[in-house]
Amino acid sequence: MKTHTQYIELINDYLNNTLSQKAQTEFESKLQGDVEFNEIYQEHIIFLNGLNRIQIKDDILKAKRAYRTEQWLKISGISIIVIGALVMLYTLVFNSSDMEPTSKNSDFNTIILDSTSSKTIEKQQPLDLSEEKTDTSKTASQIDVNYTTTSQHLRFGSTQSTTTEITKRAQIIRLNTQSDTIIKCKEGTVLRITKGSFIHPYSQKPVTGTIDLRLTEYYKLSDILMANLSTVSNGNQLETGGMLHIEAKQNDADLKLKPDASIEISFPTSNKKDGMQLFSGEWKDENINWTLSNIEQLEHLDISKELIEEHIEVPFNVVEVVPTYPGCEAEDNESRKKCTTEAISNFIRRKFNTDVGLGLGLTGRQRILSIFKIDQEGKIVFIQSRAAHPRLSEEADRVIALLPQMSPGMQRGKPVTVPYSLPIFFEIESGQSSGELYGTIGRDTVSSSTSVVSADEISLKSVEMDTIYTERRGMVELIREVMHDKNFPVDSQFIDEWNQYKKQKLIRNYGENNTKRFILRKPLFELEGGKFKILEDDSVTRGGHVIRKPWDESRIPTTTRVMNLRPKQFFAAGTEVLTTDEFEARLGDATDTSITSKDANYYVLKSSKLGWINCDRFINGRTKRIKYKLKIKNAEGAQISMVFKSYNSILPSWYTNGVYDFQTVGANESIVLVAIQRKDGKLYYDLVETKTEANPQLDFDFKEVSLEELKSELEKLNGVIK
Amino acid sequence: MSDQDILVLFKNGQRDKAFKKLYRLYPRIEKLILSKGGSKADASDVFQEALIILNRNLQTSNFKLTSSFYTYLYSVSRFVWSDLQRSLTKQHLQELNAQEVQVFQDVIEEKKYQLAEHAFLEIGKRCQHLLQLFYHKAMSFKEIANVMQFKSAKIAKNQKYKCLQKAKDIYKTKIKTVQY
Repeated sequence: MKTHTQYIELINDYLNNTLSQKAQTEFESKLQGDVEFNEIYQEHIIFLNGLNRIQIKDDILKAKRAYRTEQWLKISGISIIVIGALVMLYTLVFNSSDMEPTSKNSDFNTIILDSTSSKTIEKQQPLDLSEEKTDTSKTASQIDVNYTTTSQHLRFGSTQSTTTEITKRAQIIRLNTQSDTIIKCKEGTVLRITKGSFIHPYSQKPVTGTIDLRLTEYYKLSDILMANLSTVSNGNQLETGGMLHIEAKQNDADLKLKPDASIEISFPTSNKKDGMQLFSGEWKDENINWTLSNIEQLEHLDISKELIEEHIEVPFNVVEVVPTYPGCEAEDNESRKKCTTEAISNFIRRKFNTDVGLGLGLTGRQRILSIFKIDQEGKIVFIQSRAAHPRLSEEADRVIALLPQMSPGMQRGKPVTVPYSLPIFFEIESGQSSGELYGTIGRDTVSSSTSVVSADEISLKSVEMDTIYTERRGMVELIREVMHDKNFPVDSQFIDEWNQYKKQKLIRNYGENNTKRFILRKPLFELEGGKFKILEDDSVTRGGHVIRKPWDESRIPTTTRVMNLRPKQFFAAGTEVLTTDEFEARLGDATDTSITSKDANYYVLKSSKLGWINCDRFINGRTKRIKYKLKIKNAEGAQISMVFKSYNSILPSWYTNGVYDFQTVGANESIVLVAIQRKDGKLYYDLVETKTEANPQLDFDFKEVSLEELKSELEKLNGVIK
Repeated sequence: MSDQDILVLFKNGQRDKAFKKLYRLYPRIEKLILSKGGSKADASDVFQEALIILNRNLQTSNFKLTSSFYTYLYSVSRFVWSDLQRSLTKQHLQELNAQEVQVFQDVIEEKKYQLAEHAFLEIGKRCQHLLQLFYHKAMSFKEIANVMQFKSAKIAKNQKYKCLQKAKDIYKTKIKTVQY
C-alpha cells in the first residue's frame, strides 16, 4: 500500500514534468521493466483521462447550450421580422379602410351603416372599402353610405362581416362630440347622442374632437350564441329584443358617459313585444347577467307578474325553495338543497351502469354533462346529456329519467321549473373485456361469479340474475313468486316501492316458511301507473285483500330475463311537457299549432335512437373544419339535421334569414341531411346524402310521410351509420 | 468559419468556442443516427462522444486531421453508434482501412475512459470534489485542506489516495463485468 501511494505520486510527478532528467529516465526504464508498475501507470492514465472527460463534457455542454441559444435566437429573430412585416402589412390594409372623418362643424349628422350591397337604400355613394379577407367564399364587403340629412361630409370606416368570424367585429363610427349625432347602425339600431356627452374617466372633463364609437349589435341568434351571450337577469329569464355592446374611445383611451347625459337607443323589431326594458350587462364568470338599468326606459312595463312567472325557470342555486327529493323535507332551504343534491348524486352513482363504458375504446376518467329540468310538478323532464360517446350519454339519460318525482321548486309561492345540471364522473379501467352491453336476453349460464352484487346492480347489469346468489336476489325471486309471474319486471325501483308498500301495510306477510302468505291490499291494484295488475282467480277476501301464497321453486323458472327498464320519455311542445303518446296524438292533429317542425324533428330523432351530440364536441376533430350553411328556398319552417355516417352523431342547424347554419363541421365527412317539416298536422320529410364541403348546393324534395314511415326511414339510417 | 479557424480555437485553448462551432455539424450527425434507428437522445450522446474523441486526439501531438471535421466526426460517430449497438462483425473489422482502424481503436480506448469516468461519478460527492481540486485545479494538498476543511494537508493527501483507490476499485469491477 505504501509503495502504491508512492508510485502514484511518482506518476503524477512524471506526468507533470517535475522530475529531474535522471529520475525521468529511471521512471521510463522502470515502466519498461516492472510489469506491476506499468499496470499501475496505465490504470492511472485511464483514470486521469476519465477524469478529463468530465471537463470536456462540461465544455461540450456549454457549447451545446450556446449553439441552441444561437439557433433559437435566429429562429425567433426571423419570426419576429416576419410577424412585424405581417403586422405592418395588416395595418396598412386596415388603415386604408379606416379613413379620417373630414367633418368640420356639423350640427346634426345622420349616419347609416349598411354593409351588404343587397340591402341598398335609395341612392348610394359606394366607397371602395373592400376588405381583403382570407375567406374567399365571402365576397368583399362593400360599404354604402347614405346621407339622409344633408350635412357635411362624414366618412367612416366600418369593419364588418358577422358570419365569417367567430366573434363579431365591432362597427367603428367616428363622430364629433361637439354636435348632436344620430347613428343608424347596420342592423337597425338607432343611437341618438347629444353633444358633449362623453367625459374622460379620470379628469372628468368633457371630451372634445372626434371619438371612436365601437358598436357591436347582437340580434341574430347566431351572433348571440357565438358571443356566448345569454339572457338571464339575476336568475330570471329575459326575452331579448337585441343586445348591444358600445365602447367609446379616443386615442385608445376609454371614455365614460357624463353622469347626467344619456344615449338614446332604439332597437329595431319586426314584431313589437310589450315590456321591453333596457338592461345593462355584466360578465360574471362565463355568463352575462343583465340588470335593469336606470338610464332610460324605452317603453313602460305593462305586464302582470303572473305572466312573467308562468314560463319562468329559476336555476337550482337561485330558486327560493329548491325542489326536494323525497325524504329531504327539512325546514331550512339550505339543508334541503344539500340533501337533494346529495340524494341525486347518490341515486346516479347507485344506478349508473358503468359497464356501458366498456368496449367503446374509452379509458380513464369519463365526464358526462347532463342537464335536466324539474318541472312544476316535480317531474324530471328535458334530459340532455353530453359525453365522449353516445352510449354514455344514453346511459346518463336513462338513469336520470329514473329519478323519483320530487316536490317542485317554488319561487314567490308558485311552483316553477328548475333546471339542474349534473356532471357525472367515472373511471373506465383499461384492459377490461367487454361484452354485449345492450339488449342481452338471458344467457343460459354465466361462469360462476364470486362477486357479491346488490340488487340494484342486478337489475341494471346485463348479467344473468340466477347465477348470482345474494340476499337481494331473493327479493326479486320473492316478488315474482308472490306475483305468480315469472316474467314480472322487477327493478330496483320496484323493490323500493315494494318495501314502501310494506311499510304502509299495503303488503303484509304472515305465516311460517311453509305456510307463508302475502296479503296485497286492493289500493295496490288501483294505483295509477302501478305494476300490480293481477286480479285473476285469487280469492278476494274481506276488505279487498288478495291473498297470495308464494309459489315454490318448481313453478318459478330459474332462468330469468335481464331488464334494463327504460322509463317513458317526455317531449316538449313549446313549453308543455308531453309523453310520447300525447305527443304523437298532437302531431297528427291539424288544428294543433303547439308543435313546431323543430319539436317534431327533436321527437323523431330522439326516439330513433340515433346518437346525439352537441355541436362543440368536434372542435378537436381530426379533420379540417369548414363552415356549413345551406341556403334552401322551399324548406320553410323545416328543421334540418345533419347525421354523420361515421360518427353516430347528429348536428342541429340554426335557421336564420333563409339559411340553415350548421356552424363548423369537419370537412369531407359523409353525411345525411334529414329535413323534417310539420305543416297542418302532416309531416313532410326528405333526406339527402352528401359530403360536407363549403358552399353546398342542394334542394329538398319534401314527401308527405306518416310518423311510422318517418321512424322506419330513420331506422334505415341506423343501418347506414356504423 | 473554416476548419482551420476551429483548429486555431482548439490550439488557443478556447475549447468551448470550438465546440460551439462544431455543433453546426450536429444536425447532419443526428440524421445519421436517426436513420440507423437511434433516438434524438442517442444522437446527442454519440455526438458528444465523437467530440470528446476528437478533442483527445487533437491534444496528442502526432494527430493530424487528414480530412474535414465533418468527415472525421461522421466516421467516429458511426463507429460509436455501431459499437453501442454491438453491430460490428468480425468481417466488418477485417474490411476496415488503416484510417478506420485508427478511429475504431480510438473509440474502444475511449470506452475505457468512459468507464473510469463512471467509476469516478460513483465515489461520492466529497471524493469527486477532492480529486477534481487536485487534478483539474492543480491545488496543493494544503490548499485543498483549507478549502475542504481537513485538519491538515496530510489528511487531505491520505484522503485523496483513498478516494483514488476507491475509484480504481470500482473501475476494475466495471471493466470485468464488461469483459465477461
